[in-house]
Amino acid sequence: MKIKKALLKDTFKEIKKSYKRFISILMMALLGVGFFAGLRASSPDMVDSIDTYYKNQNVYDIEVMSTLGLTDADIEALSNIENVENVYGTYSRDGLIQTNDKEIVSKILCVDDVNQPVLVEGNMPENIDECVVEKSFLEGTGKKIGDYIDIEPEETESTGTTDGEETEYLKNKTLKIVGVVESPLYISRERGNTKLGTGVINYYIYVNKENVNSDVYTEIYITLQNRDKYQTGSHKYEDYVEETKDKIEQIKEERENARYQELINEANAEIAKAEEEFNTEKQNGETQLQDAENEINEGKAKIESGEAEINNNERTANQQFKNAEAKIESAKTEVAKNALRLNNEKIEAEKGFEEAENQKAGLQSTLDNINNAIKITDNSIAEKQAKLETAETEEEIATINQEIAKLQATRQVYETNKQSVEAGMTEIDNQIASGRQELQNAEAQIASARNQIQSQESSLQQTKNKTYTQIANARKELEASKQEIQDAEAELETKRAEFNTKIQEAEGKLIDAREKVSEIEKAEWYILDRQQNAGYSSYIQDTESIENLSIVFPIVFFAIAALVSLTSMTRMVEEERQEIGTLKALGYNKFHIMLKYLIYSSLACIIGGVIGMNIGFQLLPRIIWDMYSMMYTLPEFIVSFNHQYSSMGLGLIYICIVGATLYTILKEVKETPATLLRPKAPKYGKRVLLERVGFIWKRLKFSHKVTVRNIFRYKKRFLMTIIGIMGCTSLILAGFGLKDSISSILPNQYEDIFHYDMLVSLKTALTEEQRNTYIENLKQKENIQEVVETYMESGTAEKGDNSETVQIVIPSDNQEIDKVIKLRDVKTKEPFTLSEEGIIITDKLAELINANVGDTITVTTADDIEKEIKVVGITENYISHYVYMSKALYQQVFGETYSTNVLLVQDNNLNEEQEETVMQEMVAQNEVQTVTLTTTTMKTLDDTMSSLNYVVIVLIVSAGLLAFVVLYNLSNINIGERIRELATIKVLGFYDREVYDYVTRETILLTIIGIVLGLVAGYFLNFYILGTCEINILRFEKVIHPISYLYATAITLVFSIIVNIVTYFALKKIDMIGSLKSVE
Amino acid sequence: MAYIEFKNVCKEYKMGEIIIKALNNTNFSIEKGELVVVVGPSGAGKTTALNILGGMDTVTSGDVIVDGKNVAKLKNKQLIKYRREDIGFVFQFYNLVQNLTAIENVELATQICKDSLSPDEVMEKVGLADRKKNFPSQLSGGEQQRVAIARAIAKNPKLLLCDEPTGALDYKTGKQILKLLQDTARKENMTVIIITHNAAIAPMADKIIRFKNGTAESIESNQNPIPVENIEW
Repeated sequence: MKIKKALLKDTFKEIKKSYKRFISILMMALLGVGFFAGLRASSPDMVDSIDTYYKNQNVYDIEVMSTLGLTDADIEALSNIENVENVYGTYSRDGLIQTNDKEIVSKILCVDDVNQPVLVEGNMPENIDECVVEKSFLEGTGKKIGDYIDIEPEETESTGTTDGEETEYLKNKTLKIVGVVESPLYISRERGNTKLGTGVINYYIYVNKENVNSDVYTEIYITLQNRDKYQTGSHKYEDYVEETKDKIEQIKEERENARYQELINEANAEIAKAEEEFNTEKQNGETQLQDAENEINEGKAKIESGEAEINNNERTANQQFKNAEAKIESAKTEVAKNALRLNNEKIEAEKGFEEAENQKAGLQSTLDNINNAIKITDNSIAEKQAKLETAETEEEIATINQEIAKLQATRQVYETNKQSVEAGMTEIDNQIASGRQELQNAEAQIASARNQIQSQESSLQQTKNKTYTQIANARKELEASKQEIQDAEAELETKRAEFNTKIQEAEGKLIDAREKVSEIEKAEWYILDRQQNAGYSSYIQDTESIENLSIVFPIVFFAIAALVSLTSMTRMVEEERQEIGTLKALGYNKFHIMLKYLIYSSLACIIGGVIGMNIGFQLLPRIIWDMYSMMYTLPEFIVSFNHQYSSMGLGLIYICIVGATLYTILKEVKETPATLLRPKAPKYGKRVLLERVGFIWKRLKFSHKVTVRNIFRYKKRFLMTIIGIMGCTSLILAGFGLKDSISSILPNQYEDIFHYDMLVSLKTALTEEQRNTYIENLKQKENIQEVVETYMESGTAEKGDNSETVQIVIPSDNQEIDKVIKLRDVKTKEPFTLSEEGIIITDKLAELINANVGDTITVTTADDIEKEIKVVGITENYISHYVYMSKALYQQVFGETYSTNVLLVQDNNLNEEQEETVMQEMVAQNEVQTVTLTTTTMKTLDDTMSSLNYVVIVLIVSAGLLAFVVLYNLSNINIGERIRELATIKVLGFYDREVYDYVTRETILLTIIGIVLGLVAGYFLNFYILGTCEINILRFEKVIHPISYLYATAITLVFSIIVNIVTYFALKKIDMIGSLKSVE
Repeated sequence: MAYIEFKNVCKEYKMGEIIIKALNNTNFSIEKGELVVVVGPSGAGKTTALNILGGMDTVTSGDVIVDGKNVAKLKNKQLIKYRREDIGFVFQFYNLVQNLTAIENVELATQICKDSLSPDEVMEKVGLADRKKNFPSQLSGGEQQRVAIARAIAKNPKLLLCDEPTGALDYKTGKQILKLLQDTARKENMTVIIITHNAAIAPMADKIIRFKNGTAESIESNQNPIPVENIEW
């Protein structure tokens, strides 16, 4: 293939020789493909990033919520649905956190297997007394990891807890912050609304699931089978989800009813139980009352019988006593008789005794005689004995012993006499003693009888006393019993009354309870998907607007690329006409001849395209992501090489460039070699239309005539220049316009519409008096000019299917509000006044929910009260949505009492520092919850919006590159194509400057036309871009400042001047001789 | 002192490593109002000499005096001024601006000169009064060359330099052009230098300079120039 080799060599030499042309085509391909691929890839890259994030964190596909909570039975039912992979029941609730005098509202979420948060720092909450927070929570509250927070979960009507006893939602309400996380459910700054605090959720926190105390799930999250096959946000994914949602929809009613029935059954059982209890209670109560009554009656009977008994007893006692007394009396009489008899007996006895005594005395004297005789005997014995002792003979002794024995026998007789006397005496004594004893006994008998009677008498008396006392006591007791019974009767009466009221009450309660059961609303399921997640949906919306943008921009580039390559290649082919002719004459076929040019342009195209796509894929998505990362929190942005867009971009640019080449070359190779070898007839000069307008044409300078004629002579170049410059200018203008629109938002909102310097929100717990005192004091302060009282709460406004989150503002005075917030018509600027007729809503809100003056929209407050209200005005506004309502209307419609919670304060033109000081003072006061300075708000917003400068820079740089490539190329072609003409005029003696003017005059004219058209196109492009990237809560004023037109013009001119300077030197270098010598 | 003097003029071109001497110590002189024909084979240096004389090229060494001015010493801007005011050029391939009509091509030259002639008069002189509104593409080669000559002489130059003015023309037309040049030299007393490789037309000149190997080999004054009409070749 020698032929080919030679041709290839020739091709590479050609590239080297005409490197400028090659580079300009390459640059066009680079820019075209780079922009196309880069911009087109931005949106998929963003989608890809969130898709990966969501897959990694196992984010739900479908979410089910119910007005009555969800149960395990629901989970079971959902698990059986086709396509459903996992079903997770989980809990969430809003809660209040108090920190440094600030009250913040947080969403309390549970760490679960679904929607896993990404741990950024620290640990996950492993214990029930731990929690993790988002980064801005730490920034906003000044807390650190390791600090503790107290959280008070919202008390709800606890759907489903029929026991009536409110259990604590969290087991542990003091939580230690152990980590920082990012939640895939909250990728934007939007945290949603709440009934707590100011109505806006500030942060989310995650707690351990074990910490939650709830018998129903608040949400069920569902993940689908095979979902890895689909990319989130894609139609296939959405169809898949929709399909499954439809299936869930089919069991929805059944489950709703089941839950409702469950609750009703539970409640009914509860009521039945209560009823039964009530009945038994009632029964019991009644029985008790009856018993008490019976008892009382019994008591009464007892008292009666007791009384009878007592009387009886008394009577018997009296009788008995009488008998006893009679007995005693008779006894007494007998005793007295006996005593008398005794006395007589006694006297007789005494006589007997005297006789006895006398006998005795006789006895005594006998005794004494005996005793004397004994004594004498004894003495004689003693004498004898003594003689005995002296007696020495036996006879004497025996005689004395006989004498003694005789004496002793005498004495024995004496002794026996004595004893009988003594016995007689004793008998007498005994007789006396027994006589006396008998008397004594008789006396004692009488005495004892007397005693007996006496004791009988006294005991009778005692008994009498006792009996009477007893009777008296019994009577007393009876009296007391009577009293008791009376009391008991009274008590019974009251008890009965009490019982009746109680029963009535209980009955009423039962009725109420029954009514409540009948009032249990049917459960309603909400089957949601990711699109209902605020962060996700706005993210996806943004990727869509980027996609829209990415369609428009590359079109400009492709158009220009096609034009540039068309002109360049035409020029190239024309230049090499003779070579083509020669080759043809030598016998090369069409294909081989064309090959050189096709290779040439293909190389430029492919090299440029590949470089371009690599730069584009890396650079543009990142720049765009940089802008969006201010609004969204995603852990990682994934930039991928998108084969679809790269091949598409390359293909498109290839068609443009190589197509243009083919078009030119095909025209040439058709000609015969002879024609080709002859120089091509130069473009004929032609008269232009303007020449026919004599009076203008005649007045034109000669050089201007030339210019005019040239412009019309080279139509391709004319078009290319105008489109190129137009593109450049319009891109720059759009960039600046975007900046103008965005930067006008803040001054428009905070200087034209809002005139307050501070927004002071008061604590909710204040009494009317505290509040009024505070406001009065505030008004007195010398720094403060105006204080306007309002009530604000967040809510939603909806009409049809469109719903938006709004701030509801109710001023306490319809006139006062005008001092701090201008309510006025968008166009006529005519001021509105609040009235009872209806509400005034902000313009963007009106646009979004498609509401006009006179329409009725639904306004829902933070407390979920829904009311339909007529719109009477649409007011100018730029940031967020507001619904303005008069106090009277609010009270009338919502039926709630108005109480100021927000003060809009205007100060005496304080500088920032002074404002800061005033704010510090205010915050320190007990009545104040928060103070927001308008300047601070503006600064924060300004920071966010300054990110949009990137857009402007991207636009300007791309526009500049575009302008440069186009103009440079143009200038090259211009010079190349007209080199002979230029050499001629140089030979004629045109100064460099004049030659330059001769050439560039037309370029400048075209540039000016291009700029003018570009300004017009930029005006519309700007609107288009604004339309596609406008955020819901912002209204962009469609404005481009005059200075921006100036900038766009100036920057375009600068680019063209740079190119012209290059041209100037290129012109200077033109070799006159060489150019003129050659054959045309 | 002659009106034009070439003194020891050398011109070297560097072609990579090789130095080509296009002019090697060339000397000649031309008087005012003379019609000079420069002849010689290709590459002898005649065009180089003419380019230098016309201020389109510079010398490596030597002096080129034109009307007392040393052209060899002029700076770029002065050279342009020299071309602008003193020189009229006629090329083999006319080099008309295609986008301008005949008269406009003339005007292109006259508008930058101080003592220019009236374009209309010049057009009449060259015999194209009735074609002056035509574009070059609407004119024949001879007519185009007439326009080119008109453009050159309209500037009222001191020197009219013609590089192979008949090279692309047929015999008859070429003759007419040469006649126009000769007439111009005579009537306007203009110094005209014509380069040609056709030695046959040399007799029409007042002076014939023959170039060979980069030098003016012979300079021959022709006391009796023959009118072009009478020359046959």
